[in-house]
Amino acid sequence: MKTLNDRYHYGLELFLLSIDEGITGYRDDSLETVKRNQRQYDIPLKILSYDELYGWTMDAIVAQVGKKNNCTFCGVFRRQALDRGAAILNVDHIVTGHNADDIAETVLMNIMRGDIARLGRCTSICTQGEDTIKRSKPFKYAYEKEIVMYAYFKKLDYFSTECIYSPDAYRGHARAFLKDLEAARPSAIIDIIHSGEAFEVKEDIKATQKAQQVCKRCGYMSSNELCKACTLLEGLERGMANAAITDRARKKLDADGPVPDNLRTIPFFYMPPGLRSSSYIPVEAPP
Amino acid sequence: MSCGNPTDAEAVMQRRPKHDKTKICVRCKVARGNLVIRHAVYCKDCFFPLVTHRFRRALEPSVNSKPDGPRRTALKPSGNLLLGYSGGLGSAVLLDLVHRCYIAFDRSTMQTDGGRDHPRHERVWKKVTVCYVEVCDAFPGMKDRSAEIAEIVARYEDFEFISLRIQDAFNRTWWEKVGGIPISSYLGVSLAKEDLVLTSHSSPSTPLESLHTYLSSLPTPTAVSSSIQTLTRLLLLHTALQTASSHLLLGTSLTSLAISLISGISQGAGFNVREEIQEEWAPDGTEENSARPRGKRRVRIVRPLRDVGAKECAAWLWWRGLSVVGLDRRHASGASLGIGELTKDFITGLEKDYPSTVSTIVRTCGKLAPKGDVAGLCVLCERPAQAGVQLWKARTAIREPVFQDTPDRGEPDAPLNSPPSLAPHLCYACHATLTSRRGTSRVEQPSVPLPVWTSVSPILEMEYARGKGTALPPPGMARMAEQEMKAVVQEFLLDDE
Ligand SMILES: [Zn+2]
Ligand SMILES: [Zn+2]
Ligand SMILES: [Zn+2]
Repeated sequence: MKTLNDRYHYGLELFLLSIDEGITGYRDDSLETVKRNQRQYDIPLKILSYDELYGWTMDAIVAQVGKKNNCTFCGVFRRQALDRGAAILNVDHIVTGHNADDIAETVLMNIMRGDIARLGRCTSICTQGEDTIKRSKPFKYAYEKEIVMYAYFKKLDYFSTECIYSPDAYRGHARAFLKDLEAARPSAIIDIIHSGEAFEVKEDIKATQKAQQVCKRCGYMSSNELCKACTLLEGLERGMANAAITDRARKKLDADGPVPDNLRTIPFFYMPPGLRSSSYIPVEAPP
Repeated sequence: MSCGNPTDAEAVMQRRPKHDKTKICVRCKVARGNLVIRHAVYCKDCFFPLVTHRFRRALEPSVNSKPDGPRRTALKPSGNLLLGYSGGLGSAVLLDLVHRCYIAFDRSTMQTDGGRDHPRHERVWKKVTVCYVEVCDAFPGMKDRSAEIAEIVARYEDFEFISLRIQDAFNRTWWEKVGGIPISSYLGVSLAKEDLVLTSHSSPSTPLESLHTYLSSLPTPTAVSSSIQTLTRLLLLHTALQTASSHLLLGTSLTSLAISLISGISQGAGFNVREEIQEEWAPDGTEENSARPRGKRRVRIVRPLRDVGAKECAAWLWWRGLSVVGLDRRHASGASLGIGELTKDFITGLEKDYPSTVSTIVRTCGKLAPKGDVAGLCVLCERPAQAGVQLWKARTAIREPVFQDTPDRGEPDAPLNSPPSLAPHLCYACHATLTSRRGTSRVEQPSVPLPVWTSVSPILEMEYARGKGTALPPPGMARMAEQEMKAVVQEFLLDDE
């Protein structure tokens, strides 16, 4: 981005945003690299930690919930963290490094998990909801191999560290499967992305999907009164961390009494000023 | 890169105990259970009505040509019935269920509705034909099972039987017998480059030789398996036309449907997810001069076992004393695994630990619709092809810029001197089947024969004629003379003096 921005005078004001999940031994090296990148490229850097945002590090979450459902927390928290970090930096566009392999994996995962809403949008290069900051994945058609090769020739640091708490066994299976497919036929990754772009959610199904609203506690977009992060956080704070994982546990949480007044919550989310009304030219994925 | 970020409770795949605490059948609440189906326990007596109910529920709303909601009218199909039979698990259950429900009128299959005059007591399809496609000639050393199959089908009264061989896909005698347009000249294709140049395939070899040339020219094991699937499907569909069948039923179980959906998506067939579940097929519209009866040219493919898992199919056969014929093809071929086989291993493995995965996959895919415009039928698989495929490929990869799509696909005009090419008339997945390689290339045939239906495709003939420079522009697309063009744009032209 830096090279292109300078060479072609994109006129973009660039920021680096890194999320620190607070996993000892996992992010340490890559955060060091990020700091070095900041000096090297002379771009302002914001490292936003789960601790700062939610009052919980992943280490602390795992200590409470165990290693079974921690990926749920990590994923929900990360997604919001990027938007919140972007809002703090007052930027209007987030660019992530997802490559073709990541997107193919996400297409398969969304089908296997029945996540129809995500499936509908995961292959877009650029997504923009009404209340979210625009996001792009410029490496959508670049294989992981190509990116590693670029990093290799340009002598860049590249991290592919697997999350140490990760064992999201299910995703692990999907990832191994994808590697097998690629070995059987290297175009499989791009073929899966093509498939993902060749279908969409049926109109009548779209109509029944819950309308987006805004979380009454933190202001982030949500399909329920409370967003996922707030629900998860409430569970953690009240020592019933699995409450948000199943509906049954959620009911138990509600039955346990109203939300205590002193409950720690996530700072209220405000879209960067001027964003809501500005006119975007939506960049759609190729048909 | 990162770990997962599932959204809601159902998204978190948790291992659940194999079944709920009780060992008593959930249906009759009396008998001791014999089988666990997706966490629920059933006894043997309740199992048969359960499977029968799911079978009818998946099939009967699609019997009448116009769907009539939650079916309460009589079942009146517009033609006969064709059953695809492979000898495998699902299709064995299919034969048995169709026979019990619609031919033998087994009492146990209709216990919920009373009344002797109920429409279910009338014969639904006048003629029921079973069709088997023997694929052994595609794999060296594979056993011919057609005799065994014929014997099994003969045990059921009132089933007609048609036995085909996979090489019939290259057999002009078969083609003319099922009512196809007589073949005047054969078209072949060169697989050397991605545009797939059409050739005149001059030496009409035997169907078996053609099959072997075709399969051995394919670039990957994935391509071989999926080509055999496509050829089998088209053989069945044309047989359905021949037998005046309005419906073709396949014994695809819930498990095999999940496998074929994921396998198809992994091969780029996302546009055809809908057809993979249920398909309305008609041969390419221009078959007006064929010998087939008019008005009987639509076939609906239904997979009535799509709610019944492989395990339930196995239990059905076991308790009914029926057996499966044939074995896994991979043992016969000994070749490395293709995407289809890998997907099968993956899904069946996953199903053991996460039993709800297969139904989630099928349910999710059922909520999808193709996106973008249809550019006619693919000349190879005869499923709707998405418009703009070649442009998409050109945009997403660095490769030789050989592609020119034909004008009727809403893409750049083919220059008159470009060679006649198959690529623009294929769907994405079929194009990948013929061109996507792994590692180094092998010996290349200058000309590979095409299946008979592709060979007679009017669109391809036109394309071939165009490339050979003998083409007349299609009607309404006459080439404008320079003067004519000038007349049209006259008022916008600036004087260049
Ligand atoms: Zn919230
Ligand atoms: Zn029972
Ligand atoms: Zn096709």
